[in-house]
Amino acid sequence: MSYLAEIWRSRELLQNLTNREVRGKYRRTALGQLWSLANPIAAIVIYTFIFSFIFRLPAQVGDPSGLNNYALWLVCGLLPWLFFNRVLTLGTDALVANAGLIQKVYFPRIVLPLSLTNATFFTWILEMGVLALALSLLGAFVLPWVPLVAVFMAVFALFSVGLAMIFSIVNVYFRDLAYLLTIVLQFWFYLTPILYPVDLVVTQSERLGGLAGTSVTLMDIYTLNPVQGFIEIFRNLLYDNRMPEGLTVLVALGWTIAALVGGLWMYASKEKQLAELL
Amino acid sequence: MSEWAVRVNHVSKKFRLYHERNQTLKSAILRGKASRHEDFWALRDVTFEVKKGQTHGLIGSNGSGKSTLLKCLAKIYWPTSGDIEYRGRMASLLEVGSGFHLELSGRENIYLNGSILGMSKKEIDRKFDEIVDFSGVERFLDQPVKNYSSGMYVRLGFSIAINVDPDILVVDEVLSVGDEEFQRKSFKKFTELKAEGTTIVLVTHTMPVVKEICDTATWINQGALIAVGNAADVVDQYQASIT
Repeated sequence: MSYLAEIWRSRELLQNLTNREVRGKYRRTALGQLWSLANPIAAIVIYTFIFSFIFRLPAQVGDPSGLNNYALWLVCGLLPWLFFNRVLTLGTDALVANAGLIQKVYFPRIVLPLSLTNATFFTWILEMGVLALALSLLGAFVLPWVPLVAVFMAVFALFSVGLAMIFSIVNVYFRDLAYLLTIVLQFWFYLTPILYPVDLVVTQSERLGGLAGTSVTLMDIYTLNPVQGFIEIFRNLLYDNRMPEGLTVLVALGWTIAALVGGLWMYASKEKQLAELL
Repeated sequence: MSEWAVRVNHVSKKFRLYHERNQTLKSAILRGKASRHEDFWALRDVTFEVKKGQTHGLIGSNGSGKSTLLKCLAKIYWPTSGDIEYRGRMASLLEVGSGFHLELSGRENIYLNGSILGMSKKEIDRKFDEIVDFSGVERFLDQPVKNYSSGMYVRLGFSIAINVDPDILVVDEVLSVGDEEFQRKSFKKFTELKAEGTTIVLVTHTMPVVKEICDTATWINQGALIAVGNAADVVDQYQASIT
């Protein structure tokens, strides 16, 4: 509890460090903050071309929104993933990259991963704003769902930062993690239903039945991935315009609490040793 | 005046000297344990206190443990055993300009660095002119700090740190920052802070400085406290031991 109070006391520092990230990032570029939209747009163009045009993936019809557009369907899952990817990649390196600062000044170290996440979250809000606009223009009735989307964005950000907090400390002990992570994130991306609908996995799972003579199905293993539930929630709200399933929400909240408690506990117990470990 | 401001109670600090630092997963898995190490005590049972408003010098040869002690005082290291108590707000000045963002302007960096050092936005607003004045970089305030000369860089860093206005100031050898004129200015600022009742703990190798500005001093050798007391006496003892 006293640790949470300390974080609260350093909120101004957190804000300043967030500003540092946001303002420092696109300094001396002509397009500035617009660059943050470049990556997602490039990804959308490539994936839509390959999966919708070349592979002819069946179109996903939004229920009840009636949308029928692979690119939009893709973005609803891709933007949360890109946010998650950035938070984890940057967050894991947060302590090691700021070693000089940690060894010279005392401040609650936890503001480092938090400020990175805040800055990344800021970019994500811009991206989601553009997406909401595009969805509305193309016929979805998104506006009433915006508050819920915002709530789940915050929940997903807490989940991501919790995980990033754990990884940043582990990375101090084992510097391999940062490199390992880029590979893990690649697998993770393709094991999450972002490019393809989860129905295809369900079909495959039913065809295979119980794996290796047990009652465990492919789908059971597949749903262990916490990000999968979040993607489903964002698609339900944005693309389908309906409430996500209660169980999916509960599982997502469970993962979030676990990641946050884990991350906070790591910082509360390891923070004081960081200066000498780095 | 006999009230204490900083109290160091039986502080010991142990470091691990790693023979094989297994910072990769491969070695951890192969050997089945995280590392092989040997303990090294950088500080052993150090106890002293600094009275409110006094300037206290930490002296000793290289490797004596005084920098470790200073980092413990600055809350960067945490003692393995024992504790340090403070009465009032502590700020440390171990390196100037740490946390500057090179692409940001001097103005933005004043706010960023000030908050890293524990100042609130209001305080920085209030002190802003004084910081700029003292640093002498007024004309370049809206330039990114990466274009600053090294002298301007440290002067700005120093001016922010010195204006934190703590009750207790912990300083490493930063009095030697900038050119002679700036050094004289910083020296004057220290005397002012002292006159305002700030408690200062500083590490320095320049014995005349200790004699001139410190009231009391602590001499540390190989992690153990050798002498504590009146600055001039402790310096004399220390100098007698090395000649």
